[in-house]
Amino acid sequence: MNPTLKAFIRKELTQTLRDVRMRALLFGAPVIQMTVFGLALSTEIKNIKLAVFSRPGDAMFGRVTEGFYASGWFTRAAHAPGEDPFELIASGRADAALISPAEGLVRSAERGNGKMQLLVDASNATKARAVEAYAKSIVADASEREYGARVLPALKFDVRVLYNPAMESSVFLVPGVMGMLVCLITIILTAMSLTREREMGTFETIVSAPLSNTEVLLGKTIPYLILGLADAALVVLAGYLIFGVPVRGPLWQLALASLAFVVNTVSIGTFISTVSKNQQQAMLGGFMFLFPAILMSGVMYPVENMPKAVIAAAYMDPLMYFVRLLRNIMLKGGDVHVFWTNLGALVLMAFFAAGLAYNRFRQTLN
Amino acid sequence: MNFDLHRVYAVARKEVMHILRDPFTLALALGLPVMLVAFFGYAMDFEVRDIKLAVSDRDNGPAARRLKEIFTASGYFRLVEPGPVGPVEMLDSNRVSAALFIAPDFSKKIKGGGFAEAQFVLDGSDNSKAAAIIGYLPGIQRAAQLRLAGRAHGNQSSSGADPEPSKLSLSAADPDPVELLLSEADRDPAKLLSSGADRVSVETRLLYNPELNSRWFIVPGLAAIIIGLLAILLTALTVAREWENGSMELLLSTPVRPLEIIAGKLAPYGALVLAGVCFVYLVSRLVFGVPFAGSHLLYLAACLLFVTAALSQGLLISVLTRQQQVAMQFSMISGLLPSMLLSGFIFPVESMPGFFQYLTMLLPPRWFMAAARGITLKGADLGELAVPFLALGFLSAVMLALAIKNFKTDLE
Repeated sequence: MNPTLKAFIRKELTQTLRDVRMRALLFGAPVIQMTVFGLALSTEIKNIKLAVFSRPGDAMFGRVTEGFYASGWFTRAAHAPGEDPFELIASGRADAALISPAEGLVRSAERGNGKMQLLVDASNATKARAVEAYAKSIVADASEREYGARVLPALKFDVRVLYNPAMESSVFLVPGVMGMLVCLITIILTAMSLTREREMGTFETIVSAPLSNTEVLLGKTIPYLILGLADAALVVLAGYLIFGVPVRGPLWQLALASLAFVVNTVSIGTFISTVSKNQQQAMLGGFMFLFPAILMSGVMYPVENMPKAVIAAAYMDPLMYFVRLLRNIMLKGGDVHVFWTNLGALVLMAFFAAGLAYNRFRQTLN
Repeated sequence: MNFDLHRVYAVARKEVMHILRDPFTLALALGLPVMLVAFFGYAMDFEVRDIKLAVSDRDNGPAARRLKEIFTASGYFRLVEPGPVGPVEMLDSNRVSAALFIAPDFSKKIKGGGFAEAQFVLDGSDNSKAAAIIGYLPGIQRAAQLRLAGRAHGNQSSSGADPEPSKLSLSAADPDPVELLLSEADRDPAKLLSSGADRVSVETRLLYNPELNSRWFIVPGLAAIIIGLLAILLTALTVAREWENGSMELLLSTPVRPLEIIAGKLAPYGALVLAGVCFVYLVSRLVFGVPFAGSHLLYLAACLLFVTAALSQGLLISVLTRQQQVAMQFSMISGLLPSMLLSGFIFPVESMPGFFQYLTMLLPPRWFMAAARGITLKGADLGELAVPFLALGFLSAVMLALAIKNFKTDLE
């Protein structure tokens, strides 16, 4: 590498890292965010506020409701006697209300039709679905306890969760959150820094230096590549140290995947900066890329679920491939087929994005 | 301290001219929320369907066939016959998301009224799928039991029933990597087992969204996130830009007071973002048919409060950073992921550990999410939404006060 380029890269790095706040944002924020998300987010729905409306002296109904509270999913929602259950849910003081049959549960069950009513607040559809499933299984258990198992075949599923047997949310989330954080940081850094130079007029100074176009481009992008990779390594390390999230696959696979991904994001950032006139436009351009990229990455909801036309868009999202690679390498031990196909896609996109960025960059220089 | 509306107006006019001079920014600021809400309102769905399930059926009996039919009939699973490689390898290579193992004596045990167990293995590397799949299993199990009951029932008396539970295991020919991997993880099967009678049952009534239409709860939430972020970003950058260019000193040396500058700078962006709110409202009503049960006036008030909170957050960031790049980095980090993950948009706040439930109280989107869903779907009134409204007001006031304080200290 020629010394001018090396000096150029050093200057860029120093300039970016000179600011304490920038250092904090680049290295502190990702670790904090990953810790918070890893601890706070859970795929299991818990703490559902359940209000119970019973008739006096209905012992069986009491036992059924105890089953609800003992399951660990439901908490007690207090209410005044004679209060309207609909009102209770509307005001948000309860998420669900269990109401005994008018004649009492024992009496109606003796006649073979002990139907309780469960009102569920479905304004959050995912939560409502979970509440319904929990309630069904708790009531079925209670029914079995009260009357003994009916002569149904005793079929049972022995459920095993591969790669994350204890269903730890941190293990689930760290690969996804890591992908999102690296994407976020590199795109903003690259898109904003080039635009700022142009806006402030310092870009002319760089161009007038004895460097070729390629060298200017490399000098402006390699520092961000390095920072992006440093962040990726930092997040993996933090995930391992704080949550014990394993890296079951080889490290070189992880490094290669991160490199291919960061080349993508840095190229896209460069492209955004070449088409924006000022930093505000660069910001909006970055937002326009980041928001869809994160939503279509498969971290929030499965990609395969989306309508066909939208799936095509998801296949153009480098973050989707990166998240797949991270999950595969970190949790599954790096299946060769999955690794090479997804890496291949990332590399292909990297070439395309870098080519596009280079072309636009040359045009803006001239 | 005197506060002159004329001077506010002058600053606002300058800012409006600045926005109008840059049609690209204007178009994006107005168009982006609508585009994103329309696209993702259509694309997003948390209900997991079409799960690829590899089946290793070593039984091939009638009961096994019926069990497989139940999986297909549920509409959630698509059966995949394992090829030359085993189901576990298919899980490893992402070709299926779950696998079902049925042992050779499965049908015999069901027929005999014994205790049959089928092993269900799922991919735990994908958080968006695993929990949903586990949630479907109890329903499938019950359906399968009822379906299998008819046949097993009639034959029970004739064949000497084996009351002892006998565990199903994979055949010896299988190298059995599953057992090896997972012996540590004995999940409580009691939760998943429900083979009881139906003398006591529960009838669920889903209020506000009886068909569990995902759009109805995704679209209002999505709108909140996009609008909030845009408001933060736009204000953070506009004030930081003045500092970066040095024009803030110029502005401050004029008779315009700091408060007037702030009001004048925020007003146009507030208007811009509120226009975005109206567009998004139209899209969600007309395109997605999201019902609107509550009062429009109340909704407008909630939007106004939320936009104020977001603008204050943006202002605070820009006053503290004074540099567009840092401001943008800070806005995105404090805005994008927290508002998506910690606001209750996808992960319910109530399911979080206690400490984090308190932490989310610092995030305006958490409160607006509650207010927006309450008003649109539940038709909540002001009394029921007092807490979110007060919280939004309080957060705006605190951030605004902090921003003004920092803004002023710089003058001395």
